[in-house]
Amino acid sequence: MRRLGILVGAAVTYLFAAWMVAPGFYDGFGPPQAYNWTCPPPQAGANVKPSSGHLDIKVINGVSDANSAFTDDGQVVIGFLPGTFDSAGKTTISVDIVPLDSCPKPPGISFVTNVYKITASAPPAKGKTAGLTLRYSNLEPDPSDVYQASDPAGPWKSIGRNEQAAPFTVDTRVDSFGYFAAGYPTASPPPGSVTLGGGQTLPIIVAVLIVVVVLAGLPLAIVRRRQRSTPADEEEKG
Amino acid sequence: MLSVLRSHAAARVVAIAAYVLVVEWTRALAIQAPGAAVIALVLGGAALGVAAVGWPAGRLGLGTSRLGLRLLGGVALGVVLILPAAARSGAAPMLPVGLAVAAVAVSIGEEIAFRGALYAALEDLGGAPAAVVGSTLLWTLAHALSHPPAFLGAVAAAGLLLALWRWACRDLVGPIVGHVIADLAL
Repeated sequence: MRRLGILVGAAVTYLFAAWMVAPGFYDGFGPPQAYNWTCPPPQAGANVKPSSGHLDIKVINGVSDANSAFTDDGQVVIGFLPGTFDSAGKTTISVDIVPLDSCPKPPGISFVTNVYKITASAPPAKGKTAGLTLRYSNLEPDPSDVYQASDPAGPWKSIGRNEQAAPFTVDTRVDSFGYFAAGYPTASPPPGSVTLGGGQTLPIIVAVLIVVVVLAGLPLAIVRRRQRSTPADEEEKG
Repeated sequence: MLSVLRSHAAARVVAIAAYVLVVEWTRALAIQAPGAAVIALVLGGAALGVAAVGWPAGRLGLGTSRLGLRLLGGVALGVVLILPAAARSGAAPMLPVGLAVAAVAVSIGEEIAFRGALYAALEDLGGAPAAVVGSTLLWTLAHALSHPPAFLGAVAAAGLLLALWRWACRDLVGPIVGHVIADLAL
């Protein structure tokens, strides 16, 4: 039973340690393509500056065409359906994606991507949205949200993310342009977190995990104890 | 050289520790090269498995006795490892197939190297406490190049949990299964 107690203690310690580094423990499997950083983290190694992107969208019979703007390194893609823009009086609409040359650190938010400024020569039409995809690196935790601001100094607001996305990318819908980055809140669990009983998540998780570990480890420990001096246990001792 | 390794526990520890650190750090650097991620992971996992050459399966904690319980324990360990991330981030994207195969190779290789061969060598040298503490320290050090510094506490805690399972149950199947589950999900 002493061993089981130590094992449960280790499980609780792990849960606490992993919980402290939002969004939790991960084993660092990387995307096939290295991320181009504005401000590379120390472990990034050699770095290439992120690229910008430009797109001219045709307006045909007063309706903006479908197209996608993307940065040359593919780290940002924004897709537009026909009629996304309020294109009155225009024959083309220009879209620009430019990585910010600094790295804002707004309070309560940790960005895991560069900050990108996305502008267009016309605003989205009322009720229309564009699909925004940001790629992120394996060197940072998975982002829980995409954030948007009209000024890099803030305020930054979460615009959420789609549940399904390709590996190491985060998708969302945008109805206006400005500054965008993916990240996670550092002060509290993200909106997608499991919240039970008024938000007391951690104690519930710990309790559940203690039960799981005990249920899994108890039979094994008992069998091992019973067979400690039998020949069958010699397999374990080599 | 081989006779020295056979007769001196300390030499075995030094040799295995140096080998797995070199393999892990090389893998962490190689994975950064464009298009090299999958091959670096697969080769890295296979190279880690080489650390177990010469060790009887029983000394590594491998065996088929009570296999159902070992597998159940592995699932429980996997649940523990992924729960904080799952609770925080809701849905996580699944790894692409190539990367998933590579993740399985690395998971098995790391467990055989750290909680298998290195654990056994340290146990010969200083008993179970040295095996648990030493394998956890080496495990954390091995991840210093692949993880942000803020994550090393969680890495160490995961290593400690897996090493303590190895000690408490004399089993490596559980840590292998748990590690594979965690890496496929994360």
